[in-house]
Amino acid sequence: MDELDLLKKDWNKEKEESKLSAKDIYPMLLKKSSSIVKTLFYISIAELIFWTLVNVLPFFLSETYRTQLDHVYTNKTILALLNFFSYAVILLFIYLLYKSYKSISVTDNAKKLMESIIKTRKITKYYVLYNLVVAFLAMVVGLYFGIQQNPDISNKLAQAGSTETFIIYASIVSFTAIFIVLLWLFYRLIYGLLLKRLNRNYKELKKLEF
Amino acid sequence: MNKELEHSFVELLEKHQNIVHKVCRLYTNNYDAHNDLFQEITIQLWKAYPKFRGDSKFSTWMYRVGLNTAITLYRKSKRTIKTQDYEGVAFKIKSEDYDDTEEQQLKVLYKAVHQLNDIEKALVFLYLEDKDYREISETLGISEVNARVKMNRIKKKLKTILNP
Repeated sequence: MDELDLLKKDWNKEKEESKLSAKDIYPMLLKKSSSIVKTLFYISIAELIFWTLVNVLPFFLSETYRTQLDHVYTNKTILALLNFFSYAVILLFIYLLYKSYKSISVTDNAKKLMESIIKTRKITKYYVLYNLVVAFLAMVVGLYFGIQQNPDISNKLAQAGSTETFIIYASIVSFTAIFIVLLWLFYRLIYGLLLKRLNRNYKELKKLEF
Repeated sequence: MNKELEHSFVELLEKHQNIVHKVCRLYTNNYDAHNDLFQEITIQLWKAYPKFRGDSKFSTWMYRVGLNTAITLYRKSKRTIKTQDYEGVAFKIKSEDYDDTEEQQLKVLYKAVHQLNDIEKALVFLYLEDKDYREISETLGISEVNARVKMNRIKKKLKTILNP
């Protein structure tokens, strides 16, 4: 006899020790879910808020920052366009995330459910990636203009040879890049840990297709 | 959500709870983890219940939600890792274990099934529930042929685990 057929004989026996009554089940309905979708949802909301604040706060809180922006962008239209673009991106991501979360359904088949979660995670990933690239550009451009507008530093730089100037700028870019890459790795670690099991099971299902 | 809906749900779950217990038994290895998973499956079933249209059997619908929660949604709690196995000992199969009484054989078989990966367990679960390959393939999102091939491989794998 097949091993599993032997198991089948025992399989449907009810184990009295684990049997629950309706009285035990009612309180369960009030408890909060601790599923990965819930955690993913909180993380993406936190990321959305965090990056929106990073983008928006300096503008509202610091007058110096506003003056500097006015200085850099002498053309008001460009500044308005950039602002419009950054808010449009935030709104687009909120819309995509909302749509994606709505499409996650526990009653789909296992593979489709996993794909919906992976898709949602990807949207957050792209949002973070977009912000990291913007942060990188902002830091590099900011430092460049900071140096240019500071007479002491720019005078010193003017006296330095072209090799030294190159080294200084290359170091600025490299340090910024390292900082951004470290942040990126941190994100990957968080998501990697959270979705480790899902990714493993998804790979296993995909493997069955061949 | 209204009381009537809540009442009908609890009544159905109470009646079919064995399905959820069986999923938990397969995917966890201690009492606390079993209860944790049972709780999470109950929440997922309850959340999805308003959309349950009754065009499939409640039990069939439970298979899908239960397995999806166990394979994909459930985040293992810390105590799942820290607490001891049901048996209280690390699991090791010796070949001489497997030719004793039927009870002993069952014990070893359950342990062997526990060694399978999450997807293999899902296939075994549906097989033990007497589901045909069409339903197995629909629940997991794989083709019927692949479900059949995989099931045969699992049977072979179990044989190897049981008779090393």
